[in-house]
Amino acid sequence: MAKIKIDGELWARVKKVAEAAGYASPEEFVAHVLEKETAALEGADADEEEIKKRLQGLGYIS
Amino acid sequence: MKRRDFLKVTGTGAAVAAAGGVAPLLEACAGKARPLGRKVVVLAIDGMDPDLVRRFVARGGMPTFKKFIEGNTLMPLGTSLPPQSPVAWSDFITGAGPGVHGIFDFIHRDPETMLPYLSISRSTPPSKTVKLGRLVIPLAGGKVENLRRGPCLWEILARHDVPATVFKCPSNFPPVETDARTVSGLGTPDIRGTYGTFSYYTDDPPANADEFTGGECIPVRLWDDAFTADLTGPANTFRENSPPAKLRLTVHRDPTRDVAKITWDGDEVILKKGEWSGWHRVRFKLAGPLADAVGMVRFYLKEVRPHFRLYVSPVNIDPLEPALPISTPGGYAAQIARRAGRYYTQGFPEDTKALSHGVFGEEEYLAQAEIVLRERLACLEETLADFDDGFFYFYFSSIDQDTHMMWRTMDPHHPLYQPDAPPEVKGAVEHFYRAMDGALAKVLAKVDDKTAFFIISDHGFAPFYREFNLNTWLLDNGYIALADPFRRAETEFLDNIDWGRTVAYGLGLNGLYLNLRGREPRGIVEPGEAAALAAKIAAGLEAYRDPETGERPLVKVYKSRECYRGPAAAEAPELVLGFTRGYRLADDSAAVEFPERICKVREDKWAADHCIDPAHVRGVLFSNKPVAAKAPALKDLAPTILKEFGLEPPREMTGTPILG
Repeated sequence: MAKIKIDGELWARVKKVAEAAGYASPEEFVAHVLEKETAALEGADADEEEIKKRLQGLGYIS
Repeated sequence: MKRRDFLKVTGTGAAVAAAGGVAPLLEACAGKARPLGRKVVVLAIDGMDPDLVRRFVARGGMPTFKKFIEGNTLMPLGTSLPPQSPVAWSDFITGAGPGVHGIFDFIHRDPETMLPYLSISRSTPPSKTVKLGRLVIPLAGGKVENLRRGPCLWEILARHDVPATVFKCPSNFPPVETDARTVSGLGTPDIRGTYGTFSYYTDDPPANADEFTGGECIPVRLWDDAFTADLTGPANTFRENSPPAKLRLTVHRDPTRDVAKITWDGDEVILKKGEWSGWHRVRFKLAGPLADAVGMVRFYLKEVRPHFRLYVSPVNIDPLEPALPISTPGGYAAQIARRAGRYYTQGFPEDTKALSHGVFGEEEYLAQAEIVLRERLACLEETLADFDDGFFYFYFSSIDQDTHMMWRTMDPHHPLYQPDAPPEVKGAVEHFYRAMDGALAKVLAKVDDKTAFFIISDHGFAPFYREFNLNTWLLDNGYIALADPFRRAETEFLDNIDWGRTVAYGLGLNGLYLNLRGREPRGIVEPGEAAALAAKIAAGLEAYRDPETGERPLVKVYKSRECYRGPAAAEAPELVLGFTRGYRLADDSAAVEFPERICKVREDKWAADHCIDPAHVRGVLFSNKPVAAKAPALKDLAPTILKEFGLEPPREMTGTPILG
C-alpha cells in the first residue's frame, strides 16, 4: 500500500472531520474523498464533450 | 461551482429521472376583473418576413391573408436586440427587454466557470443520492428550471381569472406554473436533453459521420439480412457516472422486397422503402422495475438495398406520458394528444441537421417538415375547439426553420442556389407561407367583433451569403491571446485562452464580452476602462471590410449599456453585433474556434438567417384593430393584451400599448 505525506495541521483537521462524519478511520475518509474526486476528474472530459455536442446540436451552429 | 461540477449538471437529459417544478417570478399587477366575453387571439408565426408575405400574397396563393390585409393593419414589428427567437419571444412574454428577462442570446456562459450553456433552461441532477450496489438512487434536489426572469403575460392573466391557452410559445420550458393551459415550446429538449439528436443506422456510413452534430451515425453490419443496435436514451442518473440508457433495436430486412421490420421491447413496425412510421412509444429502463423513462420516435426507412439506411427521429418527450414537465396543467399535453394525435414536443422539430449533414435529401427534409406542419395544424384545431373566451396564443415554427434551410433554393444570388432544383424544392418557402393561409382561416372562424386579433412574427429573414468570424478578428487584432498558439486549430469553447492577456471574447451568435475584473474569474479589464475599450472594439469592427467583397460585415455594433435597462442588464455582453444583410456570425466563431480567415462564403444549407442587425429583419404585425403606435415592437404586445382585458401592466413591462 502506497503512503503519502500530509501536513500535520491538515491531518488534524482530517481526523476531526472524519470522526464527525462517522468514518471508521481518517484513512477511510481520505480514500473516499480521493476516489470521488479522481472519478469526477476522469469523467470531466467526457462530460465536456457532451456539452459541446449539445451546443452544436443547435441548428444555428453546424 | 467548480468546472467539473458544472459539467455534471448541464444535461437536461440527466433531469429526466428526477424533474421538479419551477417557481414563477411574479410582481404585483394592479387590475380589475376581466370583462366577460372578451377575447384576444395571437397567431404567432416564427420568422414570417414582411417582404416575403407581401410577395407571396401578391402571387395569389394566400387568399385569406389577402382579404385580411385589405380591411386591417399590416406593418413591420420591431424585433429584439439581438433578433434571436429566445430573446424575441422573451420580449413578448415579459413585455420588456433582455435587461429584464435576462435572455441575451441562445448561448450564455457561466462567468465563474467560463463554460457556455444554452440560455433558456438549466437542469440539475439530484443533490442527495444513496448508493444501492451499482444503483445510485436520487433522494432530493433534481430539477429543471426556466432561466427567463421578469413578468409572464399569461401568468398575470390567469391570476386575474382571464382564461388563457398558450401553445408552444418559445422560451417557456419548463412551462411557468399557472392556471393557464400551456404547452412548452422552443427550449423543450428531447429525452437526451439536447435540442434534438437523430439516430442514423446504416451499413454505409458517410465520410462526415464523425462530424455529425444534432445526430449520430450508428454503423451496422447485416448478417442474414438482420442486425441489432442500440437507441440512446437519457443519462441514467440511477447508475454510477450516469451512462446513457440504451434500448436494443432489432432490424430484419426482407430478403427480396424493399421492406424492413424493426422490433424492440415487444413492439414492432414494418416499413417499406421511403415510408415514415407514426409515433412509437419507447421505454428506457433506468433502475430495473423501479424507474424508467418513456419517449417516442418516428422511423423513416430511407433505403433497404444495396445499402441499408434507417433514420430514427430524436426521442421526443411523449405528450401522453411526459418524462419532463411540458404543460400546465400537467395533463394538458396529453389531452391534446388524445384528440389530435401525438405530436413533436421538442422545441424546433424540423430536422435541419439531418439535411445539413446529408442524411436527408431536399425532398426527405420537406416530407419531415410537412409532418411537423400537419401535426401542428391538427393541434390548432383541437386547441381552438376549446377556446371561447380570454386569451389564445398559438405558435408555428415551420416558416422559420424552412426559410433557414430552403431560402437558397429561391435566391439566384445565393452561392448554394441550384437552378435545376425541382419546383417543389424551389417553391418550398412559398409552400409553407401558403400553409399559414389555411391556419389563418381556421383562427378567423373564432374571431368576432369582441376579439382583438394579431398575427405576429418575432423577426423577418435575410440571406446568409458570407460568414464573419469575430473571434479570429479579435485574435488578429490582439484582443485575444491563445495559451498555446500551436493548438490554435484545436481550440474551441473558450479552452486554450490565455486569460491574463485576453481583454475580449465573442460568445453566442451576437455577443462580445470583455474579460472584466471582478466578473470573469481571471478578468484583467478594469471596470473603469471598460466603456472606452468597448467603444474602441466597436469602432474597429464597424470599420472592418471583407477583403473579398469590400463590404462591411457589421452595419452597427450596439453598446449594451446604452440599450438594456433592468436588473439583468449587468449580465449582458458589452457589445451586440448588428450584421449587414447577407452576413452572419460564422458557426466556428460561435463555438469559439479560430480559423485563419475572418470571412468566408457560407456553405451549409442553413443558408438564411436573422441573427443580424434588428433594423434589417423586422417581423410582421397584422391587427384587426387600428394600431396607433408608429413603430410597434414585440415587447409592446404584452401590455397591449393586458390593457385589452382591463389590466394595468406591471412596472417591469417597459413596452407600451399599441392600439388606438
